[in-house]
Amino acid sequence: MRTREKSGSGDVCVPRPIGIPRALFYYLHPRLWEVFFREMGIPVVVSDPNNRGMVERAGLISESEHCLPVKLLDAHLDFLLDKVDRVFVPRILSLRRGHIACPKLAALPDAMEAQFGDRVEVVTVDVNEGRFPLKEALVRLGRRLDVSRKDAIRAADKACRTMEEAMREASAPSSGNGAGKGFLLIGHPYNLFDAYMAGPVCRKLESLEVAFERIAFDKEIEDSGPLHWDTCGVIYDTLRNINPERWAGVIQLASFSCGCDSISSTIFRGLARNKRIPYMVLTLDEHTACAGIDTRLEAFVDSIGGSI
Amino acid sequence: MTALAIEPWGNYSLALAASVECLRVTPWTQRSTTPETLRLGVEASPESACLPFKACTGHFIKAAMEGVEYGVMVNSMGTCRLRYYREAQQKILKDRGLDLFVFGLGYDGFKPPLIRHFDPDVIPFLQCCARARLKTLTVDALEKEVWRVRAIERQRGDATRIIEACIADLDRARTVDEIRAFAGTIKKRFGSVAVDKSRVPLKVGLLGEATLLRNRFLNHNIEEILGGLGVEIRNFFLLGDEMRNILKIGFFSRNSRRTLKRIARPYLKHVVGGHALDSVAHTIRCEKEGFDGVVHVAPSGCMPEVSIRPILHRIGKDMDFPVLDLSFDEHTSHVGVVTRLEAFVDILQNRKRKGSPATRENRSTEVFCPPAAKGAVS
Repeated sequence: MRTREKSGSGDVCVPRPIGIPRALFYYLHPRLWEVFFREMGIPVVVSDPNNRGMVERAGLISESEHCLPVKLLDAHLDFLLDKVDRVFVPRILSLRRGHIACPKLAALPDAMEAQFGDRVEVVTVDVNEGRFPLKEALVRLGRRLDVSRKDAIRAADKACRTMEEAMREASAPSSGNGAGKGFLLIGHPYNLFDAYMAGPVCRKLESLEVAFERIAFDKEIEDSGPLHWDTCGVIYDTLRNINPERWAGVIQLASFSCGCDSISSTIFRGLARNKRIPYMVLTLDEHTACAGIDTRLEAFVDSIGGSI
Repeated sequence: MTALAIEPWGNYSLALAASVECLRVTPWTQRSTTPETLRLGVEASPESACLPFKACTGHFIKAAMEGVEYGVMVNSMGTCRLRYYREAQQKILKDRGLDLFVFGLGYDGFKPPLIRHFDPDVIPFLQCCARARLKTLTVDALEKEVWRVRAIERQRGDATRIIEACIADLDRARTVDEIRAFAGTIKKRFGSVAVDKSRVPLKVGLLGEATLLRNRFLNHNIEEILGGLGVEIRNFFLLGDEMRNILKIGFFSRNSRRTLKRIARPYLKHVVGGHALDSVAHTIRCEKEGFDGVVHVAPSGCMPEVSIRPILHRIGKDMDFPVLDLSFDEHTSHVGVVTRLEAFVDILQNRKRKGSPATRENRSTEVFCPPAAKGAVS
């Protein structure tokens, strides 16, 4: 596959730009992919952040039974169609040793190829951190795009460093009033760190003047209990060791018809109950009305108000 | 005597029941979920769990209420959430104060936990396995026969009556010889059904999630609905084939994972989990083998099957091959399923009549329109 082509009159090779949908895997490896491609000299077009139009488009074009994050990925790819002629969708099989990713992610590049393959080229790479490190996958991807091994390794190093920083920043505590206990937000990274999905929850918590923090994903898992899914494993490990002195409550942001959440939320609830921490699940779907979320958050904060 | 609850698996329930006899327990099973067990399961399960989970949980609750002490549940080592179903069900039963211990079928060491617990003697165990295997294969043979006959029978319901009688006889067969003798009579018994040999029925493949394909209550008896519309079906979940795949024998067989992977490769380059790869491969194979269409059956929100639906649509588009997908949950209405299947069959008949590219040259263009198909399915 040749990805470089002569442009205009000069001898300079300008690689064709690559589109990255700002959905799903974008949040699993924050900033990684765009930095990696840019460092290799490939122009990157990232789709716009989620907005109402994007969500509506997702509902229109996507398979109706997907969970919202996968639907949104469809909408983001659709957005990129007339801007680039190739898009990047990795096949995420595992993010951690001994763990597996959600099975839906394993079929994504093929599903995207099936849906958009006649209009855009789908570039993919297997990410299986249980088997080989992320950097190796990146170098493999670089080689596939005709970038020299040396350049690919350099770009991969830079990209991984940027990602680690981004992950640290993302789970930094909110301002809040800082004095009392706070709330822990848990959920899949693509729900938690997406400003459109988690935004209404965060804004409401801010307006109620309670401190909150998103769960950190950049840590090692000691014990993931019965759960083998990677993100669920991190949450399990965090909840297992959660300190009831520090946290007033746990709020799970689940997406509607998420297979992992349907099983894991009962397990998480059990863990929180053992530590006597109030626990609430908020299910997000494309019918976003903030009134429901507002009411439930107000009630939740009110009901445990005394202990904050 | 101790009893062991086994998940309802359609006609295979009797083979599974035979397989646990050597453990000196009484099998407790049903051929399909009942409205009552489903209701119990829906009440107890997490709302977004899939339909097979709810049905099976209900089955165990009912079993526990009737005093059954043990249950057995598949817990695969795959990527699907099926992996956690045993733990989740055990927790639900415990929370409800029901005393039923659910065994997993997974390996954790040399012997599966179920066998370790009951510890049967080796020889009766192997004999029992042989009986169960033979019964499974006999059920496979029965199923294949009924798909063929039901589409062309003159009197609606004859084939169903015969298979019901056969299943009852097979259930009574105790020794390997008896089962063999019974298997020999299958052709003859189905031969007694009056059929219209001049009809050329449509051929439709049924594929998707295993429990839904097998549990007639959950799939609203899709096999009989299609058979009644004069369609010869092929249900791609046959336990005999599946066993061979699980035990990794028959490496070069038609339905081995390896063969399926090779077939699915142009569209799906990685195993997703569950039977997703099989669904893709069988859809492609159905098109090649001159089927008129396929029906993809999955529980609503099924993780592997839903994720490959766009791929099935693409195959349908690329090959001009009709694919109908049906999702089932506890709210699915029977009439809705029947209407969609009738419309699908109508389209297939039209395509066949007009000689669309999907119609194979070597097949007759004469199309059978069942006289009593419309509205007769209840």
